[in-house]
Parts: sequence; C-alpha cells; structure tokens
Amino acid sequence: MSVLPFPSFLDDVKEKGFKKAVFEGANEVVERLTAGMNIQDIREALRGEAPSRKPNPRLQPHADGFWLHMRPSYFHKSVTGIYPEFRLGWLSTYFVVFETITGIFLMVWYTPSPEVAYANMINIMASVPLGQFMRDLHRLGAEAMVLIVTLHMLRTFFTASYKKPRQFTWFTGVILLGLTLFLSFSGYLLPWDQLALWAVTIGASMVEAAPPEIVGQNLNLLLRGGPEIGANGLLRFYLLHVLAVPALLFIFTGVHYYKVVVHGHSLPPREENIGEDTAKRVPLDKRVYFIPDILTSEIMWIGVTTLILVVLCTWFFHAPLEAHADPQDTPLGTTAPWYFLWVQGALKLGDKVFWGIIFPTIALGFLAVMPYLDLTPSRRWAHRRTALTVCFLMISATTVLSYMGLAEFGVRLAGDTEILHEMMMPPAHNHMGKLLPVPFDQLTPGIYTTRQFEAEAGQESAAVAAFNQEILDNGRAQLAIAQLGVDHLELSAINTSVIPSDAEDLEKALHFFADRLVAYEHELQDAWGLVVVTEVQPGLRRLDAVIVWHQVEFENGRVVFGSDGEPVLLVGEDGQPVTRVSTDHIFIHEDAQYFAAPGS
Amino acid sequence: MLQRLIFERIEQRILVGTLSFLAIMVLVGWIAINEGGRMQAFETQYLARSIERGAYLYMANCSTCHGTDGLGGAGRAPALNSPYLFGHDYLADLNREQSGLEREKLNSATTPERITEIDARLAAIETERQTRLNALSAATQTPGDYDPTAPSRLSNLGWAGSLRSFLLTTLIHGRPNSIQYWGGNQMVAWGQLAGGPLRTDQLEDLTNFILNWDKGDAWTTDDALAVRQWPISVVDVALAGPPRETIAPAGTDPATLDLAAINAEVANFQGDPQNGQTLYNGTLGCAGCHMQAAVAPPTEGTWTRVTVNRSALTGLEPTEYLVHSILYPGEFLAPGEPYIPGTYPNAMLPNYSERLTYQELADLIAYLQTQDQEVPGL
Repeated sequence: MSVLPFPSFLDDVKEKGFKKAVFEGANEVVERLTAGMNIQDIREALRGEAPSRKPNPRLQPHADGFWLHMRPSYFHKSVTGIYPEFRLGWLSTYFVVFETITGIFLMVWYTPSPEVAYANMINIMASVPLGQFMRDLHRLGAEAMVLIVTLHMLRTFFTASYKKPRQFTWFTGVILLGLTLFLSFSGYLLPWDQLALWAVTIGASMVEAAPPEIVGQNLNLLLRGGPEIGANGLLRFYLLHVLAVPALLFIFTGVHYYKVVVHGHSLPPREENIGEDTAKRVPLDKRVYFIPDILTSEIMWIGVTTLILVVLCTWFFHAPLEAHADPQDTPLGTTAPWYFLWVQGALKLGDKVFWGIIFPTIALGFLAVMPYLDLTPSRRWAHRRTALTVCFLMISATTVLSYMGLAEFGVRLAGDTEILHEMMMPPAHNHMGKLLPVPFDQLTPGIYTTRQFEAEAGQESAAVAAFNQEILDNGRAQLAIAQLGVDHLELSAINTSVIPSDAEDLEKALHFFADRLVAYEHELQDAWGLVVVTEVQPGLRRLDAVIVWHQVEFENGRVVFGSDGEPVLLVGEDGQPVTRVSTDHIFIHEDAQYFAAPGS
Repeated sequence: MLQRLIFERIEQRILVGTLSFLAIMVLVGWIAINEGGRMQAFETQYLARSIERGAYLYMANCSTCHGTDGLGGAGRAPALNSPYLFGHDYLADLNREQSGLEREKLNSATTPERITEIDARLAAIETERQTRLNALSAATQTPGDYDPTAPSRLSNLGWAGSLRSFLLTTLIHGRPNSIQYWGGNQMVAWGQLAGGPLRTDQLEDLTNFILNWDKGDAWTTDDALAVRQWPISVVDVALAGPPRETIAPAGTDPATLDLAAINAEVANFQGDPQNGQTLYNGTLGCAGCHMQAAVAPPTEGTWTRVTVNRSALTGLEPTEYLVHSILYPGEFLAPGEPYIPGTYPNAMLPNYSERLTYQELADLIAYLQTQDQEVPGL
C-alpha cells in the first residue's frame, strides 16, 4: 500500500530508509542532468580512475545529452597538449560567450541615440556598480578575441591544418576572422565619444571609396544612414553589433566547428605520413577521453584566461572614454583601431580606392581561398618553403603597414601646431598634453618662459629679467598679448618669472617645451615659448601656451636653406623678418585628476 | 615542463582551475566593495573636466558679452559671477534674528525686562542693516536692477525650478526679447534643441562652469561692488509702448475715485460695442468669471438687470451704475447676493481705473448695453 495514492518518494523512504532513499534520489537526478553519469561515475572521472561499470558511462553524455552531442567523446593524445593547438580555437569560442555576457550587461544601460549614448557611458562609469569593470572586460575581451582568433589562424597555417580535407574549415575560419574584426570595430562607435566617431568615420569613408562610385556612395549611405554619421548611423552600428553580426558569427561558428568534428583535429605534421590524414582513426592506446581530461582542461583554460582578464582590468587596463563626439572638431592624430592600422598605413601609400579597398579585399580574399591554391600535400615545414615565405612576407608587410598607420608616421604638421598639441592635447590614445598632469598646486598663476632653460644654473632670474626687457623692446611682447587677446585672455604686459623651485613637474613640462622648440629650430627660428597661468575661478586655472618665432621660407613643405646653410628668413614688406605668434589654451580644474600614462 | 606538471595530470588541472575561479571571485569582490569610492571619484573627476570644457566654451562664446570674469558687460549683458544670480542674501542672518526676536516679543510669557533687551537688540540689528545697505549702496548704483533687500534673482523672476535648470533653459532658448532692453544685443538660442549651435552636453558643461562661480556663504560686499552690470528687470516687454492715458494713475484706491466726474467724462466718448466685446472676452478676460452664475453675475441679461433692477435700487442711471461697478467693484451690493463688502466680491480686481482709458470704458459699456436678454425670475 502506497503512502500517497501513487508511487512516490515517500514509498522509497518507507521501503529503504531515509538516507538510502535520498542518496538514490539524488543519484538519479544527477544521472538525468548529466545524461548518463551518476555521482559515483563523476567521482571516478575526477579522480582520474577508470570507469567501474560497463558500458562506459562517460560516453553516455555525448550520445544522449544536448551540450556534448557536438563534442567528440575522445581526442588523439597528440592534440591534447599545449602544442599543437594552444587551445586557441576553444578560447575563441569562449570569447564569443564572454563578450555576449558582458555585452548584455552593458546593453541594459545603453540607448543607441546620439542624444543620450554618451550620458549612458557616464552613467555606467559613475552610477552603476561594477559598470566600469564590465565595460573594461567587454572592451579588453574584444581586443583579446581579435588577437586570439588571429593567432588561431596563424597556428592553423603553421601546422598546415588547412590542407585537404580541411579547406572549407579554413574558409569559414577566415569569415569568422572578418566577423570578429567587424564586431570589434562596430562596437567602437557605440560610446559616441571622439575616439568612436572619428575611428568609424575613417572606416566608413573607406567603404565610400569602394568602386564604382555609385556602389561606394550607396554603401556608405546605407552604413552611415546619411551623409554624416548621426542618429541613424549609430542605430545601424548598434544593430549590426548586437544582432546581425553576432547572428552570423553564431552560424559560422556552428559550421566551423561541425567541420572540425567531421574531419577530426589534425595531428601534428610529424606524426603522419605525407598526404595521409589519420585524425579520425585514433588507436585505442592513443585515446584521451573528453570526460574527464579534455573537459577539465578546457574549464581550466577558461579559468586562467578569465583570471588574466580580471587582473588586467583591476589594475592595468581601463576602456578609454574621450570627450563627447563632435563632428565639428577633428582631433589631431586620429587612428583606426590597432587591428586596422595596416589599412590606414596602406592608405598613406596613395590611392584611396586601391589601397583602402582593393588591396585589403585582395589580401583577405587571398587568405580565404589560400587552401585551394596551395595544393601541395606535405604538411612538413621543409616542404613548404614557398608558403612559409609568403606567410612571413605577409606578416612583415602587415607589421610595416601597421607602423605606417600610426599617427606619428607620415603626416607632418607645422612645427608650432605640433608642439602646442604635444603640450595641451586632451587625453586620447594613451597620450595627453605635457601640461595636463602637472599637479594643480604647482600651477601658480604667472608667466613662465622657455628662455629660463638657456640660462646657466643660478643665472635664471637674471636671464628672465633680461628676456622681459628684450621682448618689450623688440615689440614681440605686444604681438603675443594681441594674439592672446584673440583667445579672450586679457593681459596688459608680459612679465615672466622664474618657475618656483617646488614646481618640479611644471618645470619638466616647460623643459620639454624648450626641447621641442630646439628640435624644430630650423622651422621655428629664434623661437621662444611662454606658459601663462591665470586663475579663472576658485579651483580652476587657465593655461595658455605661446610660441613666438621668425617665419622662414618654405618650398614644397620644406624649409629653404641659404648658401650659408642657415634657413632663409621670410622678410616682410618693411624689410624686417616676419614674426609669427601661435597660441593655444586649456583649463585645469583641481579635481580633474589627469595622470600621465605609464611609460609616457 | 608545464605540459608535464599541469596538462598531463588531472588533479593539477582541477587545482589550477579552482584556484583561478577563486581568485576571480576574490578580485571581483574586492572591486565590488571599492565601487562606492570609485564611482564617487569618477563623478568628482567628471564634474571637474566638465567645468574645464565649460570654461573653454564660455571663453569662446560668452565672454564677449558677459566678460571673461563673468562680471557682466556694461550695457550688454548681466553679471553671472554675482551674488544676485546665486541668491546670496547679505541680510539673511539679521532677518533671521529679527524675526525670531519679534516672535519672542509677541509671546505673552516674555518678561518686560526681556522686551527691553529685545528692543535694544532690534535697534542694533536695524543699525547693522543700514550699515550693510550703505556698504552695498555703491553696488546698487551699477547699471541694472539690484536691490539687496530682494536678493534672489530667481525669486524676483518667479522661477520655481533650480538655478541649474534656469541656466540650462536660458542657454537653450536664449532671451528672445532681450534685444529690446539690451541696446541691440540679444542673447540668442544656444541649444541645438532651439536651433542654436551647441549640443545639450556642451550646455551642461557651460552650466557647470557658471555654477562653479558660486561662493556659497562666502560672497563678500566686494563681490557685489565688482559687478559691472546687473540684470535689467523687465516688467512686461510685450505691453511696453507709449504711456497710456488711463482713468486714474497706478496705485489709486478705488474708494477715492471721483465717480461723478468720471461719469461726466465717459459721456463724452462714443462707445464701440465691437471693441468692448474684444476687451470683455479677450484682453481683460471679464468673460472668464461672468459666465457662471455661481462665481459672478452672468454676462447675458446684464443690461436688463441693470435697467430693471439695479439702477432703481441705487438711484443711479444704468450707465452710471455700470461705471461704478467696474471701477469700484465693492461699492454696491445687490440684495439677496451673499457678498460681504471687502471680502468675497474682491474676486473682481479693483484696479480697472488704472488699466482702462475712457474710450475703453465707453466701449465696454456699449458692449454691455447689447446684453439686454430676458432675465428669468428677475
């Protein structure tokens, strides 16, 4: 007679006693959840013992369960070490999940509208607990994913795993690389800061260059949602970032991995005869079972990788957030994300259409079809001299082009613009102007000059006094005052003083200023610089940097040198050398907390 | 070696993995308990940088009129760096003490000795108030309107929101009418929301910069003296025009009106009922009350009531009765009406003598004469 009108757990308790009934119930639940392994089986597996019952319960989850149905139940021993896989494929997959989870967290706090996107960022940073941490993880994870997917591709190349029968696996892998790059890039725009706007503007204008013109123009319109990136463009990039590209990525990840399972993990080249593929024929003594060995290994890799990311985001990395996007204000030295620097570098070689569109398309297209071109059967390095040579040439070319893509390379501005930028630029790309991190208490209101550093030790105040008299006499003080007036700084006289002895960082910044003027001495003749510190409000000071110099003659952007080897000064209508003044200014609040980037 | 130590031995893998996850949890926990401080620091830093950007925008866009120091431009724009904008009351402590003492004085428990003390202190407060007002009197000579006894710009404007919202909305919309009182200078709309050049976040930066001028309780008399231009209080720009010849000057007590003389004068004007209707329904808004019997006698049948009933009661000609009722609303009470002089019917404003010209009064009467409908149960 049953306790309840139907057979139940209570009957078990009555029949077997409480302890035994509970254990058996729990055991059954575990076996159902794992689709075949009970508690004893799991214990044995984790202890590294052989299974104690037959049929082998560790194969059951592969046969009956959903999550493992796609994973092979055993691997060849030769592919389970660090070499040859470095677990890069597995980590790529993990980063898809990692980015999805952190991305969903950020999605909760984000609205894709230029009106509020930036305010959302500030909110995430200022009012959402762990908000900055999640943003850092998402950003760092995105960069790491690009890196890991690229390394995965290189590994596949070096072990020649793309060769028959795995050509199509490689092809889908190149698509996944492209999707990863685009995912990372489309996320760039979402914070709607200057970095975002201008990086994406560069990218979108490359799309615009796609030939023929009508295609490029319309592609550009479709992507940006208008002639300029605005509300429509932001919404489009957002939808691409969170819907379209992830959907494609999931699909191709499925195809890619299905192909991996169908063909098996390729063995290290030395273990096979040339032209042979034995990945699917694993001898019994070479089998390493997924449960428990591969499973624990994969989980360990996840743990270690995540820990590395968390450590980096705790102490070393914060996702950048620059000033609000402003289409009217093009920052100097805008660069693409590092993984697109090679395209930016190529663009400096010449034609936008060829180097911006045709060249990258050919490069990526070549990568995609490479397995169908390289038909040599051998996977051994000794037999792959051509392929390896081409590979290293491509790596070298990418490195060189990426270097050329840096802001420092190629584009040279006028000396005064360059120096003022170096002194005062807002934080961007891990750089900031030299004056920004000077501690607020060192910014004593006053006027300081680079001439101080030309004086011998102990003679500074005399030199500064002489300088005051000199610029008063030759009228260059008046020119500087007039130019500062244009910038709304009202100054009646320029009376420089020696930098206070306790203002070490201010002195360093001015020393840098003086050194830069020397570095540009051909272009900026007889140049001197000023830094004017004024108080605007309590706790808010204004810093004006001034460069005054004699203009030299230029021809084709180069300084003209006279027969004496000295630059030729530009002479005005009055027969006197033309004096030029250039100024820029910033404001520093005592709580603004600018810190120099490590190593800068 | 790494291969042999970790990858080939399951217990090592489990150990490394478990330790990694533990370390992650410890680190995330450590970050989490520090989040309060971090978010606070971020907010401070963000406000500071917002002020810096605001300063940049201010110098480029605002300093030409409001001055680089925010003290205003004489004849061009009012001071923003001023105790008036931030509502600093130089007399606040005196006023507080005075009202406390006055309350104490009225308290029946206060002893006569204490009252003597209080009176002495009140006199001292009055002296101190005069001293401070004298010190500030030079500031009140600065162009514009500043009265230290009505120290809050926002209260004087009847602005119910915060100073931040006042500044931000002013920046967005500008002062569309200011060209009329700033000698040809107009504050234009600065917000892109209102067709101007700046984004809302930039206006917020500007607002933060302007608010950073606040000195709290530390405003000094010198700050008021430094101001170059106070705001101009504009009463009603829309109505500003040539002075109007109203029946009586502003501030006249209706009880003192010479109604007989006014009646005689009105008779010289030919009323225009059309214009009277416009005044009645529109400009003056009489119809707003005179449409519902519970609030005021309805418009319909006004003339009938006056001719049949009211004028007989008061012994006035019907038009005279209307003149009296409009200019001195509390003078007569119709029998049976629950009005008590000086209280309830004061819903009708007693200032029409200073708002109407004779012509307008004649127009109104002409219009009311057209309201000769039957009045049921009169």
